[in-house]
Amino acid sequence: MNTLISSFRRNRTFWITLLVLIIIFALGVRGLVDQEAEGGERYKNVVITILRGLSTGSIIFLVASGFSIIFGLMSVLNMAHGAIFMVGAYVGWTVAVRPDTVVDATTPIALLISGFLLVPVWDQIIKKIKISPALSRLWPWLGLILTLLVLGFLLPKYPITSWDVGSYEISPVNFAFAASQGQVNVPEPEQFQGISPLIGLGGILLGSILAGITVTGFVASRRPTTAGRAPQPGALRKSLINFIIVALLGLLLYIFNTPISNFLYTLDSTWLFIVAILVAVATGAGLGILIESTLIRPIYESHMYVLMLTLGVNAIIIEVVRSIWGAPEFTMHRPSVFAGTGEGCPAESFGDLLQYKCSTIRILGGRVRTYNEIFITILGIVVLIAVWLLLQRTRLGMIVRAGVQDSEMVKALGINVQRIFTIVFSLGVGLAAMGGVIGAPSTGLTTTLGDSLLINMLVALAIGGLTSYPGAAAGALIVGLLQQFIIKYGQIGINIPFVEEAFKPSPPLVPAMTVLLMVVILLVLPQGLFGRKE
Amino acid sequence: MENNTLLKVNDIHTFIGQFHILQGVSVEIPKGKIVSLLGRNGAGKTTTLKSILGLAPPTQGQVILDGEEIQGRRSYDIANMGIGFVPEHRAIFRDLSVHENLLIAERKKGDLEKKEELIFSLFPDLKRLIKLPGTNLSGGQQQMLAVARALVPDNKLLLIDEPSEGLAPVLIEQMMEAIRQLSAESTVLLVEQNFIVASQLAESYVIIEEGHSVKSGKMVDLAADPETIHRYLEAA
Ligand SMILES: Nc1ncnc2c1ncn2[C@@H]1O[C@H](COP(=O)(O)OP(=O)(O)OP(=O)(O)O)[C@@H](O)[C@H]1O
Ligand SMILES: [Mg+2]
Repeated sequence: MNTLISSFRRNRTFWITLLVLIIIFALGVRGLVDQEAEGGERYKNVVITILRGLSTGSIIFLVASGFSIIFGLMSVLNMAHGAIFMVGAYVGWTVAVRPDTVVDATTPIALLISGFLLVPVWDQIIKKIKISPALSRLWPWLGLILTLLVLGFLLPKYPITSWDVGSYEISPVNFAFAASQGQVNVPEPEQFQGISPLIGLGGILLGSILAGITVTGFVASRRPTTAGRAPQPGALRKSLINFIIVALLGLLLYIFNTPISNFLYTLDSTWLFIVAILVAVATGAGLGILIESTLIRPIYESHMYVLMLTLGVNAIIIEVVRSIWGAPEFTMHRPSVFAGTGEGCPAESFGDLLQYKCSTIRILGGRVRTYNEIFITILGIVVLIAVWLLLQRTRLGMIVRAGVQDSEMVKALGINVQRIFTIVFSLGVGLAAMGGVIGAPSTGLTTTLGDSLLINMLVALAIGGLTSYPGAAAGALIVGLLQQFIIKYGQIGINIPFVEEAFKPSPPLVPAMTVLLMVVILLVLPQGLFGRKE
Repeated sequence: MENNTLLKVNDIHTFIGQFHILQGVSVEIPKGKIVSLLGRNGAGKTTTLKSILGLAPPTQGQVILDGEEIQGRRSYDIANMGIGFVPEHRAIFRDLSVHENLLIAERKKGDLEKKEELIFSLFPDLKRLIKLPGTNLSGGQQQMLAVARALVPDNKLLLIDEPSEGLAPVLIEQMMEAIRQLSAESTVLLVEQNFIVASQLAESYVIIEEGHSVKSGKMVDLAADPETIHRYLEAA
């Protein structure tokens, strides 16, 4: 009892803020109760609004959790997080709607990656060859020119069957529409034009090997002393084997391209959706490794530069997405388990829901969308728990928790912190990409997807506490609920005493109110609700 | 080099930012011995330890461990060669339990299990605190945990920075006893402001002043030389 009181004294502002939030929430709930309706139906709006808030909060959380762990561990504010959320959505859409394009694109990507896996081998070879410093600074530039020539000539010739933003018939918008109608129209696959496939594939592989050598040369010419470490025994063989595996994978995908994409087109949309999630997460994580190891790592101690850099990356990614998928908005169909509308729908109970795979369920007289409100919420909770277990129960999590406080001491214990940084960065960014593909069927696809999410996420983290995991969850929940309550009140209006007409907050007010809440909370609790006072 | 030398620090220079902090520090540590690094506040003792570990990499000079030059390698590689570090101000991980604070120091699975008996015999208190979060420990308990953490993997060399700082006299006794027992199996480079502690533990010493190692020798000789002590160690 005494400790309870003293804990209350110490955290008085926290408890009062929490109390105020709960009172606001209770008032908000009370206002939504429909006094004229009968029985349970009175709470229809309450239930729907809370479920929508949970779902919005889930998406925000998927992005915010990774962002906050990355910031806690590396002090990197990754402003590209929203853009990667968007990439996740677009890549996921492509898997779900145009799997053949994904299969086509995988071959050149695998070939491009494979060359970089040989870097450790080149590193050892370069160390053995003694050349003059001037020459060792010159040749990587020549390598770069050669690489660009080879890849610049061959990559555009690689046949990827995709879409044309400029012509409606084969635009993403139309493909999306067809898919939502359950139609599949597979375009005629393209072939190599003007060069033989052997030259095309071999040339890209050669180009990527050249790129790997070039990168090694640049890195080696920057190294101050010869004080490198001897390679781990077996490391060279491992990188050679990795190279062979990835290059072979690319070639096999080329050879079996048609059967694989035909197989994917026969898959049920639910299975394809699962593939979409996996591919989106892998793409996000891969981009994460690329961004972290090439851009952030060299400068990550200058926080201002990292901030500017990731903002730049954010803008670049948005432009690339716009040029590939086009600016017009389009939709993503829901996986079939959440799309049933036939017999037995809308479901009256969760049993029915499972049996008839309905797209909606009736709760207290209101219709709740299975995918948007229920699936996304459950998934958010699953990820919340999974990441929590990862942090609390695994060695990686232990190192992350230690590194958040003192990464120098972690290094001194003999742990390769740099590798942990890369892993955590790619996991965090992968989570954001997952948020994107999960959210896409409910939000649709636009190139501004990332920006609005980035704002919501920053507000959620400011409210919850920037580096606190429970804070990220609480902040996301608060922002999600707040937004959905305001939207609901925008529809039914708020009755203000002595005012004739009900006040209807308009949708543009939503972001403003969210930011306002953040400002108020930051004024009373500068560290956010769960932030640690330093 | 004599082959009973475990670590030889040879005239290293280290910059922190643009400041030239170490300007020629040499230390030699024979296998199985305790060497004490002495010097006033700000002399560069902690920086010397960090230079050895590569946390503040030296730009000049050599650090030779067991006959192998290790300067310029990455910190974690250096630590994995068998160096344990007990930093100034303990650096206990607040969000990890006592048990996790020990577990994180494992270099291979089972390290902790093998050393548990030794650790609990040196610091019996830790056994009862094992489940507590690191943030709940008192200063003295944190210091013991910091030393225990360095014992988890097999280390040939321990770098210990001011273990007696802020401890009550009883605890200082216990800490000294622990370090004495440790040195039976391992070599120790000990930074210590408390001259009485240092002189009872170490066989030899190196004095650092303003980034230079200025004097070294047998501890017994230093104890009998009040002039040197006054000149380099007492408040100026
Ligand atoms: N990050 C830093 N930036 C600038 N100067 C630093 C930094 N860290 C240490 N120094 C300076 O380096 C010098 C040596 O510091 P060091 O911590 O090695 O001293 P020390 O001998 O361990 O002192 P103490 O007995 O007080 O722990 C000091 O003058 C200190 O001010
Ligand atoms: Mg010091």
